Amino acid sequence: MITFDRVSKRYGRVTAVGELSLEVASGEIVVLAGPSGCGKTTSLTMINRLIEPTSGAISIDGRDTATMDVNALRRSIGYVIQQVGLFPHQTVAENIATVPRLARWSRRRVAGRVEELLELVGLPPGDYAQRLPAELSGGERQRVGVARALGADPDILLMDEPFGAIDPVVRVRLQNELLRLQKVLHKTIVFVTHDIDEAVRIGDRVALLSQGGVLEQYARPVELLAHPASAFVAEFLGEGRMVRRLALLRVRDARLAQPNGSGLPTVSVRADASLRDALDAILRADGGRVTVRDVDTVLGVIDSESIREASR
Amino acid sequence: MSIITYIVDNWGTLGPQVTTHIEIVAMSMAAAALIGLILGVFAARSERFSTLILGVTSTLLTVPSFALFGLLSIWAGLGNPPVIIGLILYALLPVVRNTSTGIRAVDPAVTEAARGMGMRPSQVLARVELPLAAPAILGGLRQATVMVVAIATVGATVGADDLGQPILEALGRSSGTLVQVLAGVIPVAAIGLVADGVLAGVQRVLSRGAARGAVG
Repeated sequence: MITFDRVSKRYGRVTAVGELSLEVASGEIVVLAGPSGCGKTTSLTMINRLIEPTSGAISIDGRDTATMDVNALRRSIGYVIQQVGLFPHQTVAENIATVPRLARWSRRRVAGRVEELLELVGLPPGDYAQRLPAELSGGERQRVGVARALGADPDILLMDEPFGAIDPVVRVRLQNELLRLQKVLHKTIVFVTHDIDEAVRIGDRVALLSQGGVLEQYARPVELLAHPASAFVAEFLGEGRMVRRLALLRVRDARLAQPNGSGLPTVSVRADASLRDALDAILRADGGRVTVRDVDTVLGVIDSESIREASR
Repeated sequence: MSIITYIVDNWGTLGPQVTTHIEIVAMSMAAAALIGLILGVFAARSERFSTLILGVTSTLLTVPSFALFGLLSIWAGLGNPPVIIGLILYALLPVVRNTSTGIRAVDPAVTEAARGMGMRPSQVLARVELPLAAPAILGGLRQATVMVVAIATVGATVGADDLGQPILEALGRSSGTLVQVLAGVIPVAAIGLVADGVLAGVQRVLSRGAARGAVG
């Protein structure tokens, strides 16, 4: 668990982060989101002490990070940045081996770890291990960046707009890959973005910051979209909150109606589809109702009324 | 008399002068590389130090070599020592400037990633910044070496027994001939070309990763 206790960062008279208190639970993805100048990156880099707080304390599992050796602290935390920052003179394998080598792992253990990580991020070691960063696409580079951050299997991963410079299609793919990895790895991830759609897609919780590092709301995405705590939050979330929120809810969690005598609707959706997909299917279906299936089993029928109910 | 037969006939004197010339250049460049590298690293870190050291080293270059060697010989005596010291001072500017520029040109994202992964400042320097600045640093060493090989001849005026001697002798005697001057000049040019070629080769090898990775 990462705890921010009244953490401030001031540059002269300018307050970048003001008295931020926040808890990041172990194994969760917490997204720090907000417009530029809201102090989200500053807050992130105070965790690995690339920036030192002016006042307040950040602790990890109860230990104040200010009392820890700064380089040991950083080696225990994975760090991914938007520009990736791969070492251009080193191969992909050497890049990924950085932290294990700093920790003086044996040659054999490092080699095994590099191979494992390349497999994990979907880059076959045979093809990629010996390439230089310049020989990779943007998406591949960021995958290597993630693999490098996971080098010595840190419990915490800090990600500063990692997919910000990547085109939208690859971006969504990388977001999905991160969620897939997280199901296996259960890391504590702090993720910075200015893109609210990315924030609600990726985050278990979203901390929304405004100018000067003021925490406007800290909530699960479904809660955030349904009940914005202030006008600032509502404005930052933008138009169509309730419709976008449907993408976060599952059909199986809605109250389904039992099929009536007139037979099953011909259009159907899967139980693990989102309510947004279900609504889309309802709008396409003739009777305004669609069948919900879990593989071959029929679970029930869903219509716009049950979606409205489920989204309250 | 052809220049080649002249050089062959006088190899008894010229040979040791070639050796001494190379020794003087090698010693000056080794010291200048070490000192210049250290000063260059500091210049990359501090804008004020950079202005200061680049000012001092470029001013040194404006002092005529004849005068500099003469002044240094008052303190260091006649012979090779004042020449070596003078050449070190001349060689500093290109080495310091290129080291500093090379380090400053490293992508800040790369050094941020290095620090973020827990590299100590010395490790960031040794494993990331210097390797990436190596082609630029080698460029500075090349410039300095070629320059020093030529200026070393002036050292003969304060008694250095290098390839300046045959030139100085020929110019100082009314019976001196062009062939005698060339007997000094041609080996100097050859040493300069070979040194430049060798360093260019090293530079190419070191640039391979860095150049291809320039966009990484």
